[in-house]
Amino acid sequence: MKQFKRLAAVAALGALMGTTAMAEGLSTPNLAYRTGPFAATGIPIMNGQADYMAMLNARDGGIGGIAIDFSECETGYNTEKGVECYEKTKGSAIVTQPWSTGITLQVLPKTNVDEIPILAPGYGFSPMADGAVFQWAFNTPLSYWDGASIILKYLSEMGDLNGKKVAFLHLDHPFGKEPLPYLEMKAEAMGFELLPIPVGLKEMQNQSAQWLQIRRERPDYVVLWGWGAMNAGAITEAAKTKYPMENILGVWWAGHDADLKLVGEDGKGYKSVSWSFPNPDAPVMADVKKYVIDAGKSQTNPEEMEGVFYSRGLVISAILAEGIVVAQEHAGKPDISASDLRWGLENLNLTEERLEELGLTGMVPPFSTSCSNHTGHSGGWILEWDGAKFVKASDLIMPDSEAISELEMAKAKEYAEANAPWPVNEDCQM
Amino acid sequence: MLNDIFIKPFVDMFTAPDFLLQVLWEGLVSGILYALIALGFVLIYRSSRIFNFAQGIMVVFAALTLVGLHAMGVPAWICVILTLGVMFVLAVSIERVVLRPLVGQPDIILFMATIGITLFLIGLGEIIFGGENKVMITDELGIPTDSLVLEPWGGLLILEQKDITAVVVAALLVVALLAFLNKTRMGRAIRALGDDHQAALSVGISLQQIWVLVWFIAGIIALVTGIAWGARAGVSFALEVIAYKALPVLMLGGLESITGAIVGGLLIGMLEKLFEIYWGQPLLGGNTETWFAFVLALIVLLFRPQGLFGERIIERV
Repeated sequence: MKQFKRLAAVAALGALMGTTAMAEGLSTPNLAYRTGPFAATGIPIMNGQADYMAMLNARDGGIGGIAIDFSECETGYNTEKGVECYEKTKGSAIVTQPWSTGITLQVLPKTNVDEIPILAPGYGFSPMADGAVFQWAFNTPLSYWDGASIILKYLSEMGDLNGKKVAFLHLDHPFGKEPLPYLEMKAEAMGFELLPIPVGLKEMQNQSAQWLQIRRERPDYVVLWGWGAMNAGAITEAAKTKYPMENILGVWWAGHDADLKLVGEDGKGYKSVSWSFPNPDAPVMADVKKYVIDAGKSQTNPEEMEGVFYSRGLVISAILAEGIVVAQEHAGKPDISASDLRWGLENLNLTEERLEELGLTGMVPPFSTSCSNHTGHSGGWILEWDGAKFVKASDLIMPDSEAISELEMAKAKEYAEANAPWPVNEDCQM
Repeated sequence: MLNDIFIKPFVDMFTAPDFLLQVLWEGLVSGILYALIALGFVLIYRSSRIFNFAQGIMVVFAALTLVGLHAMGVPAWICVILTLGVMFVLAVSIERVVLRPLVGQPDIILFMATIGITLFLIGLGEIIFGGENKVMITDELGIPTDSLVLEPWGGLLILEQKDITAVVVAALLVVALLAFLNKTRMGRAIRALGDDHQAALSVGISLQQIWVLVWFIAGIIALVTGIAWGARAGVSFALEVIAYKALPVLMLGGLESITGAIVGGLLIGMLEKLFEIYWGQPLLGGNTETWFAFVLALIVLLFRPQGLFGERIIERV
């Protein structure tokens, strides 16, 4: 109630500020990819993101009385185009959402100069978690190292990994290589053999060589770090080579319903870690349907709405919207700046109660951020393909924060030294 | 190190012959599909000296049309006929709207025009069919999807029936194409145009008709390729990327040679797979398929600049 009053005050303040800000709104550009080889993965996520913001605009008149100007710049998941999009949209933007680890790495130094927060939920450079070093970058609620850690924890629960062989089938791209430092460290510590198997962009749909290697090496598990068409390629090859599906565990970007529908029953038992989960009964879904889908303001189809990726898109925009709410309360005005939003994003506190208030119950685990913790490390669930849809196959599993934070701090320091002079947040003492 | 390069790979091949057979089979399947894409490039280049950058997106467009029509409730085989119709309309439109106004322009202009066609087809495909991954209508087309599991020398050899179908259909298509080019009047006209443009025009061969025909044949090849690749990992715009695998095939086999496209495709398909499995993965960390074919083609070009089967160009200065 107290929070509601504060919000109402902010909204009233917004109304007093006149119409200029209302007309322009808060610019939150999304460097989207609805075209190209990764479009199949991008479309449902981008639709979820856009629909959530459209719902807030239609239902609440935006956030705090100010409309959200949610625009998209198409990158095709191409790093050069992504950097162009960043430059084109940064003018009035209060945030940038780069949507590729490659683009994130390119714009990371630029955002320090331009002072615009990067919001990269569940992707980007894992050491971005160290908010003291990466002041403007946020990879809530889980980093790739968190994801790798949860996967190893889950596999350990199935049996000691000591002496086992784990194949790491990954896209030969910054995204695919991102968890390697953590996996290499853990392989040594836990005594398993790590077998990295890269997949080139042109080989995504024809991974016969990679799966012949898996057949020859006979790994106990395959960790799939796939994206876009690579996922469907891997799962069809796995079915073809009769590799046991239950021994394949993918990152959250390899848990897309549409990829698994290609193999249907043959994919039964395949698992993927996830920090989001669809909840068709969540109030937010009803609001999106009422204010956006039924009002003809969406590109989403009904089947897509039931999927993991669409709901993840909603959650991503909800995280950004919450950052804006927190920033508005702190700044005492609705038309916040990029710096205000940075404060908002590093003071998120998405508790179970707050998630319920937002209508997001069960769709994302609770997490909070701080100036030193830009990730939140929410933990994730293991999802399993039952032949027709993903179902939860575990309770919430938390990452091995101790091991990760040590590596994060070391790599963040290494990055800052390699890119000196790199401004750090010296006020952050937490 | 020398042992790993010169001895161990051959020992591995000898000790696990079933695995070697599997590698060769996978290479053959990839190779025949590379050859198909390369054939589309060669046909258009022979008849018009245009390097058709749009061949990759034609594969996507044909496959999307097929599954898109089926999603609208059209029976599978009617979809195939309708898709062929769409590819014919596309060929006529390209000839009328893009190529005819550019007759006589330098080759680079025509090449750029095919980049324009690519961008147009990407946009059109996305507007009509969307960018989501789609399932190829394999069962509906009667393509078997089971596996043949053999045990040669007590080992294991898995042959996907859809791969066998792809190889057989591709081989039949190549034979039919060769028969068409060598035994029919229109086929001979295409070859005549490829041999000497001016001479062919002087005996009354219609440039417009031939261009429509070769673009339509390239469309048929695109459809077959789209079905074969789509059956493996779904139909999406990622299929377009596979077309780039045909570039080293063309460098190796020669831009003008149909035999070159077929032999080049098969050679690259099998050699890149053998190299990746026996040398690339153990010694270089894998993923050598992204560059191996280009290096092989470059080595061939050092000794035969016209490719293995290309015609040697002698110019008097």
